[in-house]
Amino acid sequence: MTAPGTAGLVPEPAGPGVTGGAVPETAVPVAEVPVAELPVAELPAAAVPVVKVPSAEVPVAEVPETAVPVAEVPETAMPGFADPHARWQRLSPRSLVVRPLTDLARLLPLLAGLLILHARTGGGLVWGIAAAAAAVVTGLVHWATTRYLITPERVYLRHGLLNQKRLSVARDRIRSVDVTAHLLHRMLGVCRVTIGTGRNDLRSGESFRLDGLTRADAEALRVVLLAGVRGGARPGDRAQTADQHVPAGAAAPSPAAGGTGAPRADGARGRPDRREIASLRLGWLRFAPLTLTGLVVLGVLFGAVVQLTNATDINLARTGPVRLVVSDYASLSVVQRVLAGGAVAIAGYVLIAVIGYIAVYWNFRLVGDGIDTLRVSRGLISVRATTISLSRLRGVEISEPLLLRAARGARCTAITTGLHVGRGAEHEGSVLLPPAPATIARSVAADVLGVPDELCSGPLERHGAAARRRRYARALAGAVLIVAAIMAATLAQHGPAWVWAGSFLLLPVAALVAADRYRSLGHRLAGEWLVTRTGSLSRRRSIIRTDAIIGWRIHQTWFQRRLGLMTLTATTAAGQQHYSVRDVPVRTGLAIAIAATGDLVPPFLLG
Amino acid sequence: MPSAAAAAASDPLLPGLRVPGNRVSRRAISYWTARAALSGAVVVAAESAVAGASGFGVTWGVVIAATAAVLGGHALIMPRWRYRVHRWEVTDQALYTRTGWFSVHWRIAPISRIQTIDSHRSLGERIFGLANVTATTASAAGPVRIHGLDRALADKLLDQLAVATGQAAGDAT
Repeated sequence: MTAPGTAGLVPEPAGPGVTGGAVPETAVPVAEVPVAELPVAELPAAAVPVVKVPSAEVPVAEVPETAVPVAEVPETAMPGFADPHARWQRLSPRSLVVRPLTDLARLLPLLAGLLILHARTGGGLVWGIAAAAAAVVTGLVHWATTRYLITPERVYLRHGLLNQKRLSVARDRIRSVDVTAHLLHRMLGVCRVTIGTGRNDLRSGESFRLDGLTRADAEALRVVLLAGVRGGARPGDRAQTADQHVPAGAAAPSPAAGGTGAPRADGARGRPDRREIASLRLGWLRFAPLTLTGLVVLGVLFGAVVQLTNATDINLARTGPVRLVVSDYASLSVVQRVLAGGAVAIAGYVLIAVIGYIAVYWNFRLVGDGIDTLRVSRGLISVRATTISLSRLRGVEISEPLLLRAARGARCTAITTGLHVGRGAEHEGSVLLPPAPATIARSVAADVLGVPDELCSGPLERHGAAARRRRYARALAGAVLIVAAIMAATLAQHGPAWVWAGSFLLLPVAALVAADRYRSLGHRLAGEWLVTRTGSLSRRRSIIRTDAIIGWRIHQTWFQRRLGLMTLTATTAAGQQHYSVRDVPVRTGLAIAIAATGDLVPPFLLG
Repeated sequence: MPSAAAAAASDPLLPGLRVPGNRVSRRAISYWTARAALSGAVVVAAESAVAGASGFGVTWGVVIAATAAVLGGHALIMPRWRYRVHRWEVTDQALYTRTGWFSVHWRIAPISRIQTIDSHRSLGERIFGLANVTATTASAAGPVRIHGLDRALADKLLDQLAVATGQAAGDAT
């Protein structure tokens, strides 16, 4: 257990609202539990180093795979699920009713619906009672079967009667311990402890959560667990995540943080080492209609109008101007209608897209601040400023959707840990460059990463004839299926022949897409950077650091196997979490994996 | 040790790569068969119910026979195929698995990057004395799952992986 020095990671318990990522209003007031007076020994299992070890090997049935080839496990370090002497702890008896009651509360709408149904048909009540009973029973079972165990190295959790879950996490992987209590918890004097390991995507069943500890137990548990958090592991971990609300008072007294990753105060403004990497030019507005941002804005506007009319009881279709336009439109001929409608739609779309671009990216500036920080600021109405620590930057993605590419445009997204995960990231915190000329996008990427330009713009290694064949086969197979479906539908419905005849146009289109997809396909491994590019309608070139790769996935479908291809996927904790080199020849793919991650792959190679 | 012999074999599916040393439990075949048969039976039963409601035409008879044949074939072939593909191995450096049947996945996760080690056993798995082990890394895309392990072995593996990850430092988050 490392001594303090962890202040940057762990806000000291100073009262409500400082329990890591806990939502302030649900944080438990822990004032009545003076932490200093809590001897660790009060937590039985936490303090007792479990050294009782089953002397013999755990008896395992005579199945062929008994020999688990884990090298030299020290006998003294065998606590855990297999240890019969481990002192497992349970949830507080007071929390017995928490789960059933919360589940019942969630069921309320359903129950209400069933009751109404009951009033009409007479069958609902039975089902309602059954659902309620099931909720109560599962809640009780969850309480009764939940056990946890804390050893010097790890935390174990198990629960479930029919579906049994067993989880364990190394204590030095624990990044946060959140203690929360909602209304019911507070009435019962219990709370919920959630142990975070830095992953933000865990499904509910997989999260490490103890729902129903007494406040004293929870607080002591928090202190004990966080005392084990390594000092200075990643001082930026907690501070950098965009939606973290650390009260100023709690963040300030952290002398040991050293400020390496902590958000800088504004005193840094005007420092000589600030340099502007990119800023918005008016000419970039021409790219606005070429992305989907405009459609998003259109949707938002539409929603707002609908809401307005609903709220004010104005029927838009009955208002004067709308009626005038509609009656004029009705008097046009068909061709005129199509032309006029199309022109209005395009003009409206362009206008809205430009407005959207301005609203989101106005005043965009990308600034390098010192040697370790990037700052992105943008926005007209709501100004957004993002700080990206270079120590958390693992790469850059240059995306060129088809339309944008046709106009020689591109945009950049940072691949970084701690910001929003997944596709939403594009429009959230990690924008490095809005749609802009591709040349600028490439130089920004190269500049931010400090890599040669050719990694961001240069040619990539092609994946060969087999990969090309697969692109065509996939695109054409899909098109043929659609054509066949359209044909069958029109023949069955006796529709006009031009419909299915016209659908044959899909085939050349599919071929064009396939050709473009193959052109986009490529990879390159240069030094400590892996570059990979895929896609046509939305083409992306990802440049990631090889030391950010924390594992490999190789996928091979039956069809790929016949062509000698595979898809190599590097998993990482940043950005989209996985970046693929698609349809790469087997030999080349393995060579990439070997070269990119040092001694990880070679043990699994032949010879 | 059987794993040593297997380790020397090249992976016929992916030349150059070594076959992971250990197979899963043979009981997994029965479990997968039971599961596939059960879900197949549900589909066929649903079809029969619909067919019965609309008076059992010849078309329905053909459709039901076809689905029964396809799903029955799936329940017979898939588990055995899968058993031949599913392999796993733990070294002190990494966790290495091969899964799938029609499409095959290989996973390599360094022990040092493993964050949590879980085991989940559904009712069906428990009936057949099986369990699965999941090791998660800091990447949302990186969990490594080993299905169809013997239950006692899974517990042991869980603890041994726990110890192994405890000894490696850092998880690259």
